Amino acid sequence: MGVDLLLGVLGGVLLAYAAYCTIQYRAVLKIREEEFAGPPAEVLFEIFIGLALCFWAALRVPGKYLPILPDSKENRLVSLPENQDFMIFNHRGKVFPLDLDLKHES
Amino acid sequence: MAARSGSPASASEKKLSNFENELMAFSAENLQNNMKVTFYSRTFLSIIGGVVAGILGLTGLKGFILYFIIMAVGSLGVITKAKFDIHEYFDSWNRVILDGITGGLMSFVLFWTFAYDIVHIF
Repeated sequence: MGVDLLLGVLGGVLLAYAAYCTIQYRAVLKIREEEFAGPPAEVLFEIFIGLALCFWAALRVPGKYLPILPDSKENRLVSLPENQDFMIFNHRGKVFPLDLDLKHES
Repeated sequence: MAARSGSPASASEKKLSNFENELMAFSAENLQNNMKVTFYSRTFLSIIGGVVAGILGLTGLKGFILYFIIMAVGSLGVITKAKFDIHEYFDSWNRVILDGITGGLMSFVLFWTFAYDIVHIF
C-alpha cells in the first residue's frame, strides 16, 4: 500500500505541476493576445501520466476486495460475534486461588 | 451447498440455479467492505477527474462527458480488480457499474469549478 500511495501522490504532484504550466502558458497567450485552445502537448502528456498514476492509486490504495461467498477459499474460518451466550466460565479455572493483589490495568 | 458447476442434467441444473437464487447467504460485512472500497475509489477518481477537467479548460457538456468516461474506466478498473468474477465479491452488477456515480458527480463539479477558476481565471 505504501508504494501505491506514493504513486498516487506522484500523480497528484504531476497534475499540480501541469496546472502550474498551464497557468504560465495562459499568461504567455495573454501577452500574445491569442485564444486558449488547449494546453500544450507536453502538458497534455503530463496530465495523462498523472491521471494514469491516480487511477492506479485509486484502485489499489483503499483496500482489497474480500470474498462474500461462504464457501470461498479465503473464508475458511467462520467468526461468530463475541456473544457471551457462547462463553463458558464454569471451568477448572475456578480452582485457582483468588489473588486479591491483582490490579486492573487500563 | 450451492454448487456452481458440473451438473450433468439440464433439469437438475435449473433446480440448482433456483436453489442458488434462494440461498443468498453471503458475508454482509465483507460486502460492506467491498462497497466501501469501491466508494473510496470512485470518490477519489471524481476529484481527480474534476481537477483534470479544470486544467484542460473544458466547459459545459464536454466536462460531463469526461466525467462519464472516467467513471466508465473506473468501473472497468473495479471489474479488473475483482478478477472478472463479480459474484465472488459483489451481489449484483449494478453495484459495480452504477453505484456512486451521482455522488461522485457533485465532487467532480466542485473540483472542476475550483481547478478551472485557479488555472483560467485567477
